[in-house]
Amino acid sequence: VSPLDRRTFLTRSGALLGAGAVGGLGALARESAEAQGAVDTTAPSATPEWSVSQTQLAQGEPFEGPHQAGILTPAPAQATFAALDSIAPDRQTLQDALMALSHRARELTLGGPIPLLAVDDPPADSGILGPVNDPDALTVTVTLGASLFDGRYGLGAQRPRELVKMPTFAIDDLDPAQSHGDLLLQICAHQRDTVTHTLRELLRTVRGSLQLRWSIDGFSSAARGPSPRNNPRNLFAFRDGTANPPTDDSALMSQLVWTGGGEPAWAAGGTYQVVRIIRMHVEFWDRVGLKEQQTMIGRERDSGAPLGGTDEFEDPRYDLDPDGKRIPLTAHIRTANPRTSKTADQRILRRGFNYARGFDAAGALDQGLIFVAFNQSPTRQFAAIQNRLLTEPMIDYITPVGGGYFFVPPGAKGQYDWVGSGLFAAV
Amino acid sequence: MSRMGALWPRAVERRAGDEVPPRAWRVAPTPASAPTRRRWPFGVAVTCVAIGSFLAFTALGVGGHTRTAQRAAAPAPLASGPAPLAIYSVGAPHVLSSLTVYPVGKSFQKPGAQDSLPVSASSFNRPIVSYRAYAVAQLGLMERQIARLEGALAANDRGASQAAWRATYARYLRLGAVYLVGEVAGLNQEIDGNAGGLAGGAASPRFTGLHRIEYGLWTGAPPRSLLRWAYRLDVAVRKLRSVLPEVAITPPEYATRAHEILEDAQRDLLSGADVPWSGEGMLATKAGLAATEEVISTLAPVFRADARVVLLPDLATEFAALRSAMTSIAAAHGGRLPSDGQLTQRQSELLDGTLGGVLETLSLVPDELETEELQQVPQIPQRDVRMDP
Repeated sequence: VSPLDRRTFLTRSGALLGAGAVGGLGALARESAEAQGAVDTTAPSATPEWSVSQTQLAQGEPFEGPHQAGILTPAPAQATFAALDSIAPDRQTLQDALMALSHRARELTLGGPIPLLAVDDPPADSGILGPVNDPDALTVTVTLGASLFDGRYGLGAQRPRELVKMPTFAIDDLDPAQSHGDLLLQICAHQRDTVTHTLRELLRTVRGSLQLRWSIDGFSSAARGPSPRNNPRNLFAFRDGTANPPTDDSALMSQLVWTGGGEPAWAAGGTYQVVRIIRMHVEFWDRVGLKEQQTMIGRERDSGAPLGGTDEFEDPRYDLDPDGKRIPLTAHIRTANPRTSKTADQRILRRGFNYARGFDAAGALDQGLIFVAFNQSPTRQFAAIQNRLLTEPMIDYITPVGGGYFFVPPGAKGQYDWVGSGLFAAV
Repeated sequence: MSRMGALWPRAVERRAGDEVPPRAWRVAPTPASAPTRRRWPFGVAVTCVAIGSFLAFTALGVGGHTRTAQRAAAPAPLASGPAPLAIYSVGAPHVLSSLTVYPVGKSFQKPGAQDSLPVSASSFNRPIVSYRAYAVAQLGLMERQIARLEGALAANDRGASQAAWRATYARYLRLGAVYLVGEVAGLNQEIDGNAGGLAGGAASPRFTGLHRIEYGLWTGAPPRSLLRWAYRLDVAVRKLRSVLPEVAITPPEYATRAHEILEDAQRDLLSGADVPWSGEGMLATKAGLAATEEVISTLAPVFRADARVVLLPDLATEFAALRSAMTSIAAAHGGRLPSDGQLTQRQSELLDGTLGGVLETLSLVPDELETEELQQVPQIPQRDVRMDP
């Protein structure tokens, strides 16, 4: 197969642009994704280098599937979390908005040339990515908050069993203006502009029905190795996500992540998403001795190995260290995941991002972690862990300021299905 | 006041006996040949050439309290061995001195050895006794201020109540050092707890004490309605004064408070987080400064000689700078410490930046007050190594 140049592709698809009304974009976009998947990145080095990886831009993550994308999907570098409140006057309007969200999200994850409308109309796409939207590993995960199941839309009887407003934990200082919400959009992609574009386009489709409540932008630290498998660092400089359960173990995912029995029928195959905006007092942290930092976490900062080990993925062997002589009993990794048979079903799938959003009125950097966890039961899993962590020494250096509990419905089942269809069919 | 970034703190060369220069930092890095009890930390060998003024690479833990420095023309490469990890050259932005970093050791850098010898735990006895006496005296003064607060609340006089609250709150923060220990932690929650972590926030029945009264006084509650909280506060403070002489304070706890009082002030007070209604972060920070100075002065005999020569004068300079910043800001507000919202941008920058300078120097204190040799972390034996999937 000869490498297909993107510019050639543009010329070819250009012929179709005139016909590109929004509704007809699907097939075209699919062609685009396939075509771009054929880009050969091993092309001779004589061609000028792109500053952005064309392989990454061409990478597509399917919107449809039994589960939504953005859960098991490896986290790309950029993310935005946007909580929305519904101002829809009735259930039908809300349903239309959710259908529109899925429809547009599907188009954007597929990518493709943007349609041209009459020049005297506002453009169908803001166009900030140029005339072609690259898939760029975009995922849009649509999730529902507890408040959506209040009396407004008659959804109460179908509320997922454990979906409640996120409780206030003793270490929290939750700001209502960045907590909770009727819906949450998790938007992830390799490039910042892809994420920015996606939020902007999605909001256009739901204007008048869904309104922004809060949002926050996140990023992953660059993969600086030493191996591609090493987890990225958080803004305390420690690797984050090391003890995640392996996402390719589908039996384990069924035990820890996906919801099933006990939930309303429509909610099977979903999961609960816990989002916590955790401010890190980084100036304070930077004034703490390395030894104390490592003792608080339980890992070596540089390698990520558990204390006394040499490799990030080494089992910390708490069984050989019952008194905490090597890894203190209060260390973060040990408190969060004691690795006992009793706590095995408490494990969560973390998919967090760092955030840095300037500084506060007093002059302190506003940086931290957008903690994201997917779990089958927040009571059995996330809250049990969080309650253990209320007394860890690290709490002096962090303040959870926002976030919420959300339910992630199962994925759209085909080209015409949409996220949340099961819920609305059930009421 | 500007800082060059963590790796490049401001610095001046200084020798014992020199006059303390204004806003002094620590002394110059030590050449490998000079006698020193500090070892290269993190297994990284660092060669530095000081050009112009000398820099202390505190981020790498290099330097310490040795007071000699050697000029050389160029970074001296290691005789043989690995290529440098990084070379910082003079001329690049923010680089005031050349620095070459070499990798040493097998794979990842291991944390270096402890760089200070421990001080004796018993040397903390007298400081802690004298601190307790100070704290009990502060609580005595606080009780009188609570009485005034009760009087103003009973008279339903909001202005007088707010003034009395300010005095009471500032007095409590002058304790600074002990109230997180043991039984006292619960009393502290009752006296100075925040609404943030409580379900229901400020409406929670468990929300009591100084901040419950603050909430009422600054959000329009009738002052008289807050009397019951003042009575409860009075009871809790008396209880604290009675148990404080018996509270055990360990040397590490006491040493930690030396720098954490002002860390807490920057995190919780200047930010407004703990004083959301009154905005009295600057008043509270000033009280924290007084408490810190008290703790440091009781600890002065505990520090080893070299720290007394360099670190304590540095701290004194930093404290004076913060005090003078506060005085100048107060002068611009008619002699009264302004609330958070009244600070101009320049005043806010001056306050937070100067406090940051104090904190960077205070961060060197815990290391100087270690009472135990740091133990190396035991390694997992090779035969017991197991890998996660």
